[in-house]
Amino acid sequence: MIDGNETGFSRRTFLASGTVATAAVPLAAQAKGRTMDQAAAVRAETGVPITLRINGGNHRVTVDPRTTLLDTLRERLGLTGAKKGCDQGQCGACTVHVDGRATLSCLTLAVAAQGRDITTIEGLAAADGTLHPMQAAFVDNDAFQCGYCTPGQIMSAIAIVHDGHANDANTIREAMSGNLCRCAAYPNIVAAIEQAAVQMKRG
Amino acid sequence: MADYSAPVPVPGKNMGKADARIEGREKVTGATVYASDAPVANPTFAYLITASVGRGKIRKFDLAEAKALPGVVAIFTHENVPKRADAEFFSDGGWVNTSFDPMESAEVRFAGQIIGVVIAETYEIARDAAHRVVVDYAPAEPSASLLSHGTETVDAAKVAKGWKDKEAGNFDKAWAAAAVKLEAGYATPTQHHNPIELFTTTVAWHGDELTIYEPSQFVWGLKNGVAKQLGIDPEKVMVVNPFVGGAFGSKGIMTQRTGIIAAIAREIRRPVKLVPTRTQGFYVSTYRAETRHAIKLGADKSGRLTALSHDGWELTSRSDDYKVGGTEATTQMYAIPNVTSKVHIVRADRQTPGFMRSPPEVPYMFALECAIDEMAEKCGIDPVEFRRINDTMKSPVSGEKFTSRHLVECFDAASTAFGWSKRNPKVGSMRDGDWLVGYGCAATCYPANTMAATARVRLSPDGSARVQIAAHDVGTGATTVMGQIVAEAFDIPLSKVTVEMGDTRLPPGPVAGGSQTTASGGSAVKAACDKVIARFGNRLPSGPALEAAFKKMNTGVVEEYAEWAPPKSTGGVAKLYTGRMSGAEGEEKPLLAYAYGAEFVEVHIHSRTKEIRVPRITGAFAGGRIMNPRTARSQLMGGLIWGISSALHEATEIDEKRARYVNDNIAEYLIPVNADIRSVEVILVPEVDDQIPMGAKGLGELGNVGTNAAVANAVYHATGQRIRELPITIDKLIV
Repeated sequence: MIDGNETGFSRRTFLASGTVATAAVPLAAQAKGRTMDQAAAVRAETGVPITLRINGGNHRVTVDPRTTLLDTLRERLGLTGAKKGCDQGQCGACTVHVDGRATLSCLTLAVAAQGRDITTIEGLAAADGTLHPMQAAFVDNDAFQCGYCTPGQIMSAIAIVHDGHANDANTIREAMSGNLCRCAAYPNIVAAIEQAAVQMKRG
Repeated sequence: MADYSAPVPVPGKNMGKADARIEGREKVTGATVYASDAPVANPTFAYLITASVGRGKIRKFDLAEAKALPGVVAIFTHENVPKRADAEFFSDGGWVNTSFDPMESAEVRFAGQIIGVVIAETYEIARDAAHRVVVDYAPAEPSASLLSHGTETVDAAKVAKGWKDKEAGNFDKAWAAAAVKLEAGYATPTQHHNPIELFTTTVAWHGDELTIYEPSQFVWGLKNGVAKQLGIDPEKVMVVNPFVGGAFGSKGIMTQRTGIIAAIAREIRRPVKLVPTRTQGFYVSTYRAETRHAIKLGADKSGRLTALSHDGWELTSRSDDYKVGGTEATTQMYAIPNVTSKVHIVRADRQTPGFMRSPPEVPYMFALECAIDEMAEKCGIDPVEFRRINDTMKSPVSGEKFTSRHLVECFDAASTAFGWSKRNPKVGSMRDGDWLVGYGCAATCYPANTMAATARVRLSPDGSARVQIAAHDVGTGATTVMGQIVAEAFDIPLSKVTVEMGDTRLPPGPVAGGSQTTASGGSAVKAACDKVIARFGNRLPSGPALEAAFKKMNTGVVEEYAEWAPPKSTGGVAKLYTGRMSGAEGEEKPLLAYAYGAEFVEVHIHSRTKEIRVPRITGAFAGGRIMNPRTARSQLMGGLIWGISSALHEATEIDEKRARYVNDNIAEYLIPVNADIRSVEVILVPEVDDQIPMGAKGLGELGNVGTNAAVANAVYHATGQRIRELPITIDKLIV
């Protein structure tokens, strides 16, 4: 799934940095059959080099300062688990953890996430593939249908358990109301969080 | 008794196993590749420029500032976008959800119309440039909605292919003679599907071959439609979309955007990624159009219905005569011998509407099931009893028998579980502190549709199997159900079955619409399994004996392809391969088969603020064989919540002057959040129907049909106010 964008990009950025002029005539460059990453050239000219710490690893990337954390994860680092559902903080599908707190990655600029610990849905399962109790509980309780909002639901669900908002069904419903599920798996999401909350407290 | 509200129900009579979704692990780890997750090398990013007027002409574009931004690759308008061929409106035998090419000329027919596309090296640059484009319009006054000045009303029977208004007996005579009469009008608003996944399109050309990554409920339709638009061999077009992030009808029939983006990518010779904004999505795809209804119901003194008249008015665009025609359901719902009905289509300056979860039944059954409740009251009969009295086993219009019908059994099961007997029939009589309490119920129905399907199944000596079918999983659990059909046929564990779907490299499956994937796709899969078993002399060995059988046959795998078409139909498979909707030419005479259900709702309405809450809802459904009770329950539960949403939350507000959607985002277009939903109980009523394919009727659209009326009827019971226009909001209760 991950296309090696990160390492490939760094290399291309270096190569492209000397040929910025081609960005102004990308069609001509393409017509001559050149395959250089024109986007890299543009970014090299206008971008900001940053380092993001994601799921325990450091990622160096040059971004347009307007780029959100969500688009950086998805379009630059091949981490497509966080989803774009509205791009304006309304649906919760892009939820990740920043320093342990549930954060809307579509409302967070990538440059503002430097120096923070970022966790995405891809970073939850153990190295041996064992699912996080919340992930397992979502499967057990059929707490999703299309699955598109699910990464955001799970990231929020873990955060509300840590924040002490998962003590009973009512507080779970209230605390999870920032994550929309159009398939409407809500009752099953509540059941999953109730199950996982017990296991997380034990663990 | 089974625990109905448990997330994983215990399978009952005529049910398959409650297996967990095959793709569950992928979905909870973020590994599922939705359309916009698919990586392409060296992409460009597209941003749409959309019309800000509701009608008019574009005088000119000023692109200078946008073009000057570094990283802008190209900007396309009607003046330079590559021309595409007309792939025609789908219900006229074509492929597209509207015949109107939004970039063909300077004409603007609706607000939000795609009038330009910016292509840039990054998303940020494309968005920036799009906002720097200045458009000079010569605006004209649009007709925005159903009741606007300047719309044009036509009879569906005159303009919609194959549509005939339903008639039976002699309505006028029966109406004149009726002892009890009701005349009432009902209205439903515009609604938008709003799947959480956006209407994305990623395209990449490899030489003369085109790959499309786009959420689709009908990949073979998209493949063939785009090929037609671009004038290329469909063999050169591949659509890849193993999982859809919610659709609800919005991704069934292809939109105009795909052809535009693919043509642009061909011209600039780079892959293009388009992720329209949530707001643009309100205009790029379709919507459920607003409707109005005039109902007349007549009954004799004993409460037997004798006469029904149902007129429906539906909004459509100026470009296409889209219709839903829900009188098909309402005129055949009860034993009413004298029926007249008419569907009117109203053309306005909007984009063409389209399928949205139970397209005909949601608006039309809202009208009928509210009217039934009103009529029961006029007759002094309990609404459950009233439906029992007027139940029928055959269509009063055609006289044909339903293949099976357990509506009364559904009412019995749901009313018992709900505690209907505790209801004081007197309006406004039940309270909980400051809250008025109301109980209401309604019937639900949805036809058991089918269309042609094909599938390929492979069995290996180790007892593992693979099934390939370009059917679609929009969250229904179709992937798991297809796997279960194979597991059951070969008597192997589900874990040994690989399921491949949503890809045009696979044999074509049915459109994921009309709740027909299980019956249609499942029949093709079953037929392929049967052909595999036939290769073993119709007795499939297991374990070492299976391996020995393969050795004896001197083969590595046994693989079979099968085609299936609905009984009595012709030409369905050939049409399926062309990606057109089967049955569009009206060659089939389908079975008269419906799934039914009963829904019971408790509402609490604050006596002073009129705040409305739904603490619980119970639905009982008879949908034939239940392939997987776990995913079935989830679908019906989601349907019930959709119903609550439609009854109380959802409406796209329309700016009458500008013909624009006012609340065109997912915060202001209200759908329930977790805290809005309390107890949702789903009861699966056992039903055996040997006449229909797979014995299964389809559940995806059954849940949300009756809910609007059940809620409205409960609101009446609590307050004495009949709210006949959806959604039921506080302002309508404060009078």
